Amino acid sequence: MTRTGQSASRRRRCGARLGLNLTSMIDVVFLLLVYFMAATEFKTGEEIYRLDLPERGRAADPFELPRDPLRIGVTTVGRDEYVLRLSGPQSAGPGPATFEELFVFLETRRRSDRAAGGVFEADHPIIVAPTGRTSWDHTMGVFNAAVRARYTNITFSAP
Amino acid sequence: MSRDRSIQPEPIAANLTPMIDVTFLLIIFFVVVSQIVEVENVDLDLPHPQEAASELPGEQSRVVINVLRGAGGDSIGYRMSNRRYMADTAGLEALARSLAAMYRQNPALGVNLRADRRTDYRWVEPVFQAVSAAARLSGRDDVKGRVNLVVVRDD
Repeated sequence: MTRTGQSASRRRRCGARLGLNLTSMIDVVFLLLVYFMAATEFKTGEEIYRLDLPERGRAADPFELPRDPLRIGVTTVGRDEYVLRLSGPQSAGPGPATFEELFVFLETRRRSDRAAGGVFEADHPIIVAPTGRTSWDHTMGVFNAAVRARYTNITFSAP
Repeated sequence: MSRDRSIQPEPIAANLTPMIDVTFLLIIFFVVVSQIVEVENVDLDLPHPQEAASELPGEQSRVVINVLRGAGGDSIGYRMSNRRYMADTAGLEALARSLAAMYRQNPALGVNLRADRRTDYRWVEPVFQAVSAAARLSGRDDVKGRVNLVVVRDD
């Protein structure tokens, strides 16, 4: 080999770039990506209502004036229909038929600084009274109406 | 002539660096955002009241009680922390005892109650009783019987 030929072959050898083979890594990375995209489950918008359960066996406050609670009965009729039934103060006459009407009923009767005519304090006892066969959805509909109307003393009755 | 022949054409190769950058960013996003599906959350169709006045759950430690859905409006039992309890008196007593033990460990424990929207109220109310009983059984004055009713917000 001539001198010129030797230097040319060395140049060719040196010119071959050193590089990592990334193919396997990219394979794995893509597999991971596909896995996470398939397995990820975005959390649905679950929210909560806080409910304090009555303390059983607690001694009654002797100075506490008895307050007639407003009892809101709800019964599931058929699959999705429901019937509301109010008893207690302010329950005379045709009552609310839907959860929205119940909210308006409760909201307008809650005593506040801004509106006159309220008869219930915000902590007036409200008892949600579903029957045993009432669906949980309808039970929560009543509870939501009372919470939305900003009542703070809401309990559930036994079926 | 010999000079022209010695010039080799440059190998054509795609520059993969930006693609790998983006791919790694996506992976990091999914790892951070995704959470391991909570096995304690049973697949239930939760109530979704209109104009819900519910609030976002806080970061406090909590345990989830699921009212397992049965045929119609019935329930086939309760599930808490991967353990199943029958929907009878014995099952509810066992549930209350387990919860009381948890209350002793952590008095500030929150109890999330998840029930299917079609489940009858008669299966849900006993859980209230069980939570009250657990608060009493724990023997601690700082434990309050309190549940968080879980719903899904539509809007």
